[in-house]
Formats: sequence, C-alpha cells, structure tokens
Amino acid sequence: MAAETARADDSEVAGLLAACARQDRPAFQRLYERTAPQLLACLLRILRNRATAEDALQDVFVQVWGRAGQFDSARGSAWAWLIAIARYRAIDLRRREGRVVAEPFADVDQIPGEDESQDALAALGKRASKALAMCLAALQPRQRECIVLAYQGGLSQSEVAGELGEPLGSVKSWIRRGLTALKRCLES
Amino acid sequence: MKRDEPENLDLLAAEYVIGTLQGRARQSFERRQRRDPFVARRVNAWEERFAQLSLRLVPVAPSAGVWPAIERRIGAASPRRWFSLAAAAALITAFTFGWIVWQETRPPLATATLASEQGAELWRVELTARGDELEVATVGSVSVPGDRARELWALPEGAAPVSLGLMPASGEVRLALNDRQRAALAAAANVAVSDEPAGGSPTGAPTGAVLYVAKIART
Repeated sequence: MAAETARADDSEVAGLLAACARQDRPAFQRLYERTAPQLLACLLRILRNRATAEDALQDVFVQVWGRAGQFDSARGSAWAWLIAIARYRAIDLRRREGRVVAEPFADVDQIPGEDESQDALAALGKRASKALAMCLAALQPRQRECIVLAYQGGLSQSEVAGELGEPLGSVKSWIRRGLTALKRCLES
Repeated sequence: MKRDEPENLDLLAAEYVIGTLQGRARQSFERRQRRDPFVARRVNAWEERFAQLSLRLVPVAPSAGVWPAIERRIGAASPRRWFSLAAAAALITAFTFGWIVWQETRPPLATATLASEQGAELWRVELTARGDELEVATVGSVSVPGDRARELWALPEGAAPVSLGLMPASGEVRLALNDRQRAALAAAANVAVSDEPAGGSPTGAPTGAVLYVAKIART
C-alpha cells in the first residue's frame, strides 16, 4: 500500500510524544495513526509475517506509551527513537523465533519495498538524508549490500552470507570495513 | 585494537544498531550502554543515521484490530476519569498561567545544545519566550583562535542557512533576531556553528567548516 498522506515530520512526532508523556490519550492515538504504518513496514521487513509483525506493533506501542517520558529531543529525532524501539523488538523476536529464520521468504509479497520519493527522505531533514544516501553509495557494493540487508532485513551475519552466497568470513569483514568507511564519510 | 578504545566502541555501537552484534556480546553491550553515556551517545548517533533507511520503506496500514488491542493493553480510561483529569488540567493550566504572568518570566520557546563530537557541551542556545532574541551561554571550554570566529546558523529545511550571529568565546550574549532570522529559525530543525574569519562570514553564507550541529528542541 502506498502512503496516502505525507509522513509526519519529526517535530509533529516529537510533539505527540511529549503529549504522551503527559498521559494524553488522544495524542497517543494520533501518534499511532501518524507513525504505525511506517513502523509496521520496518517490522514486516524483519519478521516477514503479517500476524507476527502486528503483534510486535502492539508491543512497540505499549512500550512507547510507557516510555514516552524518556524521549529527549536534545539527544535525537523522534522518528529515530520510535524506529529503534520497533527494530530492536523485531530483532529480538526474529532471533528468538527459529521458525521465522527457517522460512525467510514466507509472505514474501507482503514485504514492503522502498520508496524513493521526496517525502520519505524529508521527514528527518534533507541534509541528513542526503549524507547517508551519499555515504552508502560510496561504499563498495558488497559492503553496502551486507549493511543494508542486516539493518533493514534484520539478518544475522550468517543469514547475510546465505542470502549473498558468500563465505561468513567475507561478510564479517565487509560489514566491519563498510561501517568504518561509513563512519569516516558521515563524519567528514 | 583494544576493546575500550573509542573507535572500537563506536564500531560495536554500529554493529549493535544494525543488529549484527549478537548473543552474549549483544547483551553485554546493552548493559554497557546503560551505564556509559559515551556508548549511549554513539548508539543514538547510529540509530539516527540509519533511521533514514527505515523511512524509505513504503508504509503498510495495520489491520483494524491492532489499535483496539493496544488500547486494551494500556488500560482504557473511563469517561468519568477523563472529565476529572480534564478539570484538573484546566485548573493547573489556569494556576500556572497566573503564576507565570506574576513571575514575568516564561520558559524559552526552543533550545539547542551544541556539543563536541566527544559529547562535551559547549554552548546552550535558548529562544526567549517573546521569540525575538536568542540567549547564548557558553557552558563548556570553548577555544577560538584570535583571528577566527564561530558563527551560528539556522538551517531551514530546503533553504540556505541564515546567520543568527556570532557565538561568545566565554560568558553569555543576547542576539536580537530580525524577521528573516525568526522565519528561518521557525523552519529549521537544526542549528549549526561554522568556523569563520574574525567578525563573521563576509559573504552571508558559511565559508568555513561546519563544526557543530544541534537539533532544536521546541518546548
């Protein structure tokens, strides 16, 4: 499904989180409406199963309601905070759930693709987005593939190796060197 | 490379964020993150960078049953409780408003803290409640070569940076804002400090390196 409305910009999400910290339920519902589709996409990409991903989405929002007061806009963006909660939940479930790993391509048609449109990149601010896109593009192709598969798909290093048909040792070194190069590029 | 060197910790933080740090190494890194602010900041930085990849995924609408299930899990509030909460909130608001007017001091509209890459705070910038001045306070040890200056910029989304004034090397300054600066600040998610010749950028745009960037927290 394509997005019907533009992604919420970060100041809107941060404002809703601040309201949630004050136990404002209508704001919590609004936060759900504005961010759940994006978070579900992250969860589906990692968990590859709609029912599991929607259960995880519940867990994520229950956590967000309880922890909204811990969000500190001085430390980072609201979107990054939400996405981190969702991804760590999905990675936990995926690593615990051998079954999901055994059937990596179940429900493959439901796995969300990428959207290169402007609004997808605008939510966090264009400068930052361009920097990551540029620095990823500057990596060697295998380094980039490994990092994106691990981050977006929640794949372990051995799963990345299986997916690419490459030895585990090479994957480990591509990831380390890729991250080191990425860091150097993003900080330059 | 030693385990505790900053470079290595930063790489571990990246591996933690992308998820390839696993098992016991992941658990011990999580514990370390909770007690070591440096590590926590490195993790935040990587989460921030990679979040952009997540935002590129096409959103997927959840099924209709998910929201009601969440509401059940956090415990539904009864209408009566809502009414009393709303009444209490109105009272608190009225009281607070009166108190603030009486005090004639209001909290800043927005704040930003500029820090070094190592996380040491250097300046705190506050937009005053009237929205027409910035209060810039030096909070860390700032060293600026005699022939250079540090210039503050608003980074409005999709537009060129707008200068907000020069940063103090010590103590506090107040920077008055004109309409253009106020509009740029309102459209900005971040402010930045650049290295400029003494007296500030001669061109109206940053000419030297961008040294620090901070998010604007609006209150």
